[in-house]
Amino acid sequence: MVDVFVPDTLDEAVGFLGHHAGAAIPIAGGTDVLVDTRTGRSAPEWLVDLSSLPGLGGVELDGEVLRLGALTRIRAVELDPELQRRAVALVEAAKVLGSVQIRTMATVGGNLCHGTPSAEMPPALLVHDAVAEIVGLGGRRSIPLAELFAGPGRTTLGPDELLTSLRARVRASSAGSCYLRQTVRWSMDLAGVGVAASVEVEGTTVTSARVALAAVAPVPLLVGSATETVVGTDLPSEVADEAGRQAAAACSPISDARGTADYRREVVSVLVPRALRIAWLRATGAWPEGVPAPVNGVWTEEDL
Amino acid sequence: MPAGPVGELQVVGHRLPKLDAPQKVTGQIAYADDLRMSGLLEGAILRSPHPHARILSIDVSAAERLPGVRAVIHAGNVEQRRFGYGDDNLPLKGDKVRFIGDEVAAVAAVDEETARRALELIRVDYEVLPAVFDPFEALEDASPSIHDELPGVVGNVAMRWDFDDGDVDAAAARAAAIVEGMYSAPQAAPAPIETHVVIASFSPSGHLTVWSPVHMVFMYRKALADCLGLDWQNITVIQPPVGGSFGGKIDIDSHDFIAVMLARHARRPVRLVMTREEEFIGTRTRQPIHFRLRTGADAEGNLLFRDAEVVSDNGAYNAWGSHAMLVAMSTITSMYRVPNSRIRCAVVYTNKNYGGSVRGFGNPQATFAVEQQMEELADALGMDPMDLRLKNANQSGDVTPQGMKITSCGLSECLRIVREQSGWDQRRGTMRDRHRGLGAAAFIHVGGGARIYGSDGCGAIVKVDDSGQVTLISGSSELGQGSETALAMIVAEEMGVPIGSVQVVNSNTDIKPWDVGVHASRTTFVAGNAARLAAAAARDKLLATAAELLGAPPAELRIRNGMVEVAAEPDRRIDFARAVRRRLLREEGTVVMATAFYDPPTEHQDKEYRGNISAAYGFGAHVAEVEVDPGTGMVRLLNLWTAHDVGRAINPMSCEGQIEGGSAMGAGLALSEELVMFDGQIAAPNFHDYGMPTAVDVPRIVVNLVETVDPLGPFGAKGVGEAGIIPPPAAIANAIADATGIRPRAYPMRPWKVKQWIDSGERSHVVVAKGGLDDG
Repeated sequence: MVDVFVPDTLDEAVGFLGHHAGAAIPIAGGTDVLVDTRTGRSAPEWLVDLSSLPGLGGVELDGEVLRLGALTRIRAVELDPELQRRAVALVEAAKVLGSVQIRTMATVGGNLCHGTPSAEMPPALLVHDAVAEIVGLGGRRSIPLAELFAGPGRTTLGPDELLTSLRARVRASSAGSCYLRQTVRWSMDLAGVGVAASVEVEGTTVTSARVALAAVAPVPLLVGSATETVVGTDLPSEVADEAGRQAAAACSPISDARGTADYRREVVSVLVPRALRIAWLRATGAWPEGVPAPVNGVWTEEDL
Repeated sequence: MPAGPVGELQVVGHRLPKLDAPQKVTGQIAYADDLRMSGLLEGAILRSPHPHARILSIDVSAAERLPGVRAVIHAGNVEQRRFGYGDDNLPLKGDKVRFIGDEVAAVAAVDEETARRALELIRVDYEVLPAVFDPFEALEDASPSIHDELPGVVGNVAMRWDFDDGDVDAAAARAAAIVEGMYSAPQAAPAPIETHVVIASFSPSGHLTVWSPVHMVFMYRKALADCLGLDWQNITVIQPPVGGSFGGKIDIDSHDFIAVMLARHARRPVRLVMTREEEFIGTRTRQPIHFRLRTGADAEGNLLFRDAEVVSDNGAYNAWGSHAMLVAMSTITSMYRVPNSRIRCAVVYTNKNYGGSVRGFGNPQATFAVEQQMEELADALGMDPMDLRLKNANQSGDVTPQGMKITSCGLSECLRIVREQSGWDQRRGTMRDRHRGLGAAAFIHVGGGARIYGSDGCGAIVKVDDSGQVTLISGSSELGQGSETALAMIVAEEMGVPIGSVQVVNSNTDIKPWDVGVHASRTTFVAGNAARLAAAAARDKLLATAAELLGAPPAELRIRNGMVEVAAEPDRRIDFARAVRRRLLREEGTVVMATAFYDPPTEHQDKEYRGNISAAYGFGAHVAEVEVDPGTGMVRLLNLWTAHDVGRAINPMSCEGQIEGGSAMGAGLALSEELVMFDGQIAAPNFHDYGMPTAVDVPRIVVNLVETVDPLGPFGAKGVGEAGIIPPPAAIANAIADATGIRPRAYPMRPWKVKQWIDSGERSHVVVAKGGLDDG
């Protein structure tokens, strides 16, 4: 049997987790934790219910800085009008996560801290330079989001530590992003490959870019080499393709029931250029606002 | 008897909601898992973790000592006999286990948690044996022998299905075009929402009652008696409402025997409910089948022959899946007019979960091969595939090489409808630059029963009580497919009463007359004819009494909307129920009740697989439109146009629902559903990974009902239950071929397979006989 502890404050939560290190795990939306406890993938003695803690939810914008509380529901990200303009990759990633019911319960923090290599939120936040804010018995600390992930199902958080919020960079103009993925089904599926890209431009020239991948390495992967390739260019197809090849070389997928390693690497080389091109078209204003990335990946620039 | 035109029908042909729909949508219906009874114990099964192992010893002492445990059984402490075709199976395995999930021991305890804890305390020593998972490897001499205890089994071949008609080699020699290739169908699951469940209870006097959502109840009862040494007169089988089956619950399985043995040992009622994981791992699957097929035609597009080498992957034991070739064979020999055919099929044991009966039963698999080759052949001949199909389409009056007598047949009309609606002539072959394509597939399937047993009959009783309520007691069962409503409509039509006056009782073997069971899309046809005959006989009794009251001979009377009236003078009429009371409430009165048994005029196939197995055959055609992402191999199903020859739609809404549901399942088979297995272990036995399509994956489906009014069907109806699932894998494969130029070789056409075919340039293998060899 599992007992549930409902803390009133963050300090109480952290204190309890620290005291019951290894035997207590936090639960927010519960969409992963409850499945894990039921299938025996984890067997905690205590669940620490974070869902009523104050101050850990919400989407706030301060200039170019987005603050996203760890308890923010995925559905709230999906429906946020400001994020729909400024952080399209994040919204596109939210839209394809589970079902409406799952998204209404699941939280951003939970999606990150579960450590699933195929999770949607990590790549979408990585391309927005997210920083994770963490609290534990030792106080508060901030780390680049990429440093949160330790391996499949594992993070670098101590047993007493909680992710409280994310800070991310979301420019209001001359920036664009995109999230694409390969799945077996068209909904309710885990990514076989997930790709997020963001681009910032001056005029049409790329000044900054990020590419992040899901499901093709033990952890969500930020691909530095791919971004260096595209900076300073007008992101023509050849350059985007080259970035795709670099991303494919940087990842280390496995073969499983969702596809072979070779296939996944090839899909990375296909989806990275697409995501970069769409992000660039969005940054330069060539992509009509509100138009989603084509779910089938098939579009021609004449369609725009 | 031929049915009248639709305009004269009062109930049949109207769109009616299912009778049980209000109970189902409000959650009031009680499925087997909702049943409560005092003293009920929960059972659980210990399953083999090894794909192939010898059982050296089983120690259950610790499990027996656990408080709350009431029975622990295994092969060493129960009486059980072999079951399955060829007696190759035992409920609890004694000598060997043959797949991961095989039943080894079972527990009954006061609650589920205790039962599961007790399983962990059972100690089984295994000697692990080499296992074989690939049916082609299982055929090799060096392969492990899975049923070494059965002297008749050589080289892991469970059975063969070989067929010859005409001279294939001579036909091939004069063919203008021949296509050949491999086509594979995977292991898939029926995946009903209600998992398998059974409750067994013995009365103090030893009478056994079993509650089970099985759909061949009378055979189930006999199988229980045979395997467990029980008196079958002393067994009642009650079928609670079925929460989905799709064939998976057709007949008996190990866990049914185990529940009864547990109840016998514990002297208490016992329930066994499969978990979702067990449902995937331990209940029957759709038989994977591999076809190497050749089809040839002359220069004018007349089919000359089909030649098939088939390996059917049986899994560990023979269940219904071993007979999926029965239907697959009929598609190879009889889909279109094929003057010469040859089939060599081996059904091969492997160390995997074994095949059962799933909707379509071998036909989606065979149609995937046969209908892809129709389009490949048309392309090789430079013909339009629809023209090739129409040229060779089965027609009324045909007798196929297996002796199937084609009576009503709307195949050509179905083809013409989907051709027109999909814009086939304008669009096929023109959308490759947009990665879009159209593909078609047709089907033939039994639609008037299937004689696989001594009788293919069904009994019916119709009684009318003093209130005028009509009760149909049917041998056949409702699985959620809407047959209960269709049967009630047939009775209401025949008796001239409103549908609301008709009740259907069909769930208890003590009450209902014998029936083979629900399978082969036979219920509307066979049980419908039985119900119609009983209703007509009850009506005639009633008319005889009404004649006395109305002072007119019975032949001049008719019943409409519950009133008996003189046909020529409709104002001379009496209430239907009054005639019943008149007959009943008097000295020497009688009840209005009639029985009927309908066994269709069909033949058992002989040893060479010839015989008119069904009294009618269903036909239909689908066109699928897809969009393929050549970069990822992802396929989006955009549209599905369907036309089905249903004979007559008893309830058009229900027919459309069956076709839509079947098509959605077929789309799932085509694109995503598979029990992916590594070394005999199903990788992810859950709905998340299995790949059943969601509402987002199911496209717009257009349904056309073609009514050919079958001469033997009730009001002209033919079976439609399985039909929708048959064409989609083939139609979608053909559409992918049109969109990309590649030729799919296996389903599900998951993205990485499509990508691999695109990258490797997988093409049709065309042999142009008159112009030498051309590989592409």
